[in-house]
Amino acid sequence: MMQHFPILSIMVLFFGAFLNGIFGGKNAKARKIIVLASIFLSFLMVVAMTGPVMLEGQIISYWLGNWEPAMGFAFGIGLEVDAVGLFFGLIISTAVLVSGLYSFEYMSHDDALGYYYTLYLMLGGGVLGLVFSGCLFNIFVMVEIMTFSAVALTAFRNEKYGALEAAFKYLVVGSIGSTSVLVGTILLYNQTHTLNLAQIASILPSVSNGVTAVAFGFLFVGFATKAFLFPFQPLAADAHAVAPSSISVLISGVLTKTGVYGIIRLVYVLYQSMNLGPVKTLVVFIGTLSMFICVTMALAQHDFKRLLAFHSISQVGYVITAVGLSTALGVAGGLYHAMNHTLFKSLLFLTAGAVLHQTDTTNLDELGGLSKRMPKTTVLFLIGAASISGLPPFNGFASKWMIYQATFEAAAAQNNFGFALVGIIEMLTSVLTLASFIKVTQSVFFGQMPKKWENVKEVGNGMIIPMGILAALCVITGVAPSAVEKYLLAPATSAVYSVGKYINAMMGEGFAEGVSLSSETVAVDLGRSGYWNPLAWLALLGILLFGAFVAFVLLRKEAKTKESEAAEMFGSVDEKFEPFFSGERAEFSQVGGSDMFWGFKKVMRPYLDFMHDAHSGVVNDYVRWAVECLALVLLYCVLCGL
Amino acid sequence: MMAMNYLGSFLLIILGLYMMVSKRNLIKIIIGLDLVDYGANLLIVSIGFRDGGTAPIFTLSELFSGAYFVDPVPQALTLTSIVIGACVTAMSLALIIKIKDQYGTIDSHKVRRLNG
Repeated sequence: MMQHFPILSIMVLFFGAFLNGIFGGKNAKARKIIVLASIFLSFLMVVAMTGPVMLEGQIISYWLGNWEPAMGFAFGIGLEVDAVGLFFGLIISTAVLVSGLYSFEYMSHDDALGYYYTLYLMLGGGVLGLVFSGCLFNIFVMVEIMTFSAVALTAFRNEKYGALEAAFKYLVVGSIGSTSVLVGTILLYNQTHTLNLAQIASILPSVSNGVTAVAFGFLFVGFATKAFLFPFQPLAADAHAVAPSSISVLISGVLTKTGVYGIIRLVYVLYQSMNLGPVKTLVVFIGTLSMFICVTMALAQHDFKRLLAFHSISQVGYVITAVGLSTALGVAGGLYHAMNHTLFKSLLFLTAGAVLHQTDTTNLDELGGLSKRMPKTTVLFLIGAASISGLPPFNGFASKWMIYQATFEAAAAQNNFGFALVGIIEMLTSVLTLASFIKVTQSVFFGQMPKKWENVKEVGNGMIIPMGILAALCVITGVAPSAVEKYLLAPATSAVYSVGKYINAMMGEGFAEGVSLSSETVAVDLGRSGYWNPLAWLALLGILLFGAFVAFVLLRKEAKTKESEAAEMFGSVDEKFEPFFSGERAEFSQVGGSDMFWGFKKVMRPYLDFMHDAHSGVVNDYVRWAVECLALVLLYCVLCGL
Repeated sequence: MMAMNYLGSFLLIILGLYMMVSKRNLIKIIIGLDLVDYGANLLIVSIGFRDGGTAPIFTLSELFSGAYFVDPVPQALTLTSIVIGACVTAMSLALIIKIKDQYGTIDSHKVRRLNG
């Protein structure tokens, strides 16, 4: 039974989409039952596979129509679930489940919901199919399915400002990415005469020529488009800002992960070329660029969701950088951060969705003081913001810590000055992330509340509970990094390196040995990655919060007395010395999102202006970036002879 | 002879990309996208081609060793790819119709509300 779970977990979603298309158009109840049944069933099947795959180290392989390989040649279409595929499968099905639960209340104001859920289920099925697929061409098909569902869902609220335009840009540039996956696939087919991942992996190391180098470039750029890495970040920013928030969760938490998964499969399993210097440089360079450029872009944003979108790509940059270090600790840190990114970024998008749902705007300069009206959302947002900024004891800290450690260890072990520089950029990025989340917290939830939000209410439980699940997961994965490491990261990291085992599971025992690859499970030593004690940090956080509370109560009393003394003496409080105002306090003087960090932004003005002009919003420019990136990567691959 | 096909397919892809970069009309951008798709399709078919091979249609009893036929797998891939390409075109044209309704123009330099 277990070996049918991979195909069933995918089919259940597609079948749900089909049923929903027939019965879910008008009937809200039928729609709810179909959607809930399919996402829960799929989630349960993915979780059920955890036992054998993660704990016992098996690999579940499945041949559609029972077309098993004969004479050492894969004829049929295969599905293969190893620990790294299942790791991403777990992330994906969790995000799909939470986003589905959230949708019921969040989308209640919209019409045409039958189409919404059909596309939503197709998106989920496509993404899950991609990570479980053992066939390169099926990966291309799944990439197309998920891209189109995502494009259609981006344009779902097409009356919204700019939704159609974002969908169009995503479609055009995304199609270039898909086509480059296709061209890479077919060039590999030309050299290896098979589309099966395991068989390609067994042939490729012995075939290395110009064609495989070009194929590598095409596939790499194709998957980078799906992860929205630099220079594809404008698509993500546009698409997130206008898509419904439940879909932003899927685009940011799930679609970017397929790109990360594709790159890991490509460099570690297919080409097994990760230990080559040029590949490392390429992957780390692209990751670092995305990480730094996107965080600076985020600082200058004044739309809540657009800001989150840029942060999303910045965090994916961390993942790619860590994966590109080509050490066991780096891969583990990258996978950990990939998981955490899905959790905290989904949480942040859902809170942004809650704010949008209640106030109908995501403009940071218009919002303010919502903590008084939406206390639960505020707390959940703070958990998400602390996680993404890497504050202990939340999960962002644990994974970023692992990434820093991996970067500096790699720099020391390989005597590579560039990696040390990358480590510094990683920390700088983290600081800038914190800065821009302080800005969001201040301008949305704290500060003074504009009059028009007086009647805003807290969102209902239908939205609070999914957000609460994610917040709980953020805390759990943060305080128990050693458990996460033991049950999820170590098997997944080991699977990334155990190429021979992957090949044997698909092609039959002894196949990997035939091409002189060891089929042993590679044991990974993650070293001292977990030597910080999260409980101590939790206690410290508690003590600090308590101390701050006591200080707040005491100081407020003192400030009050001082204020009244001053009022007695001067008739009113002297506002010259108030921070931010330095003059008359107006009736309403909220510090808007654009005003925070103005000094810092003034210093960086030439750079920010340049970046602002570069993100021109013209689709031709974005296509030009894509073409230039493709050309440069191809040239690099051919010159370095990968 | 196949070299011509490979050159032709990459030329199509490059022309399509050039069109997407330089044309401001959204419909022309989509035509460029289709050219890229067709270039890829031509490449796939060319890779499966064997000079002098027959069509790959056999029953099991007809199959003999030394049968010389073109590779059927790329042809199946091309079909899938053509179908997907048609979907891309249909969907993008639908989006363009809505964009024309909302923006009153299909000039890519004027369809840029989201920027910066």
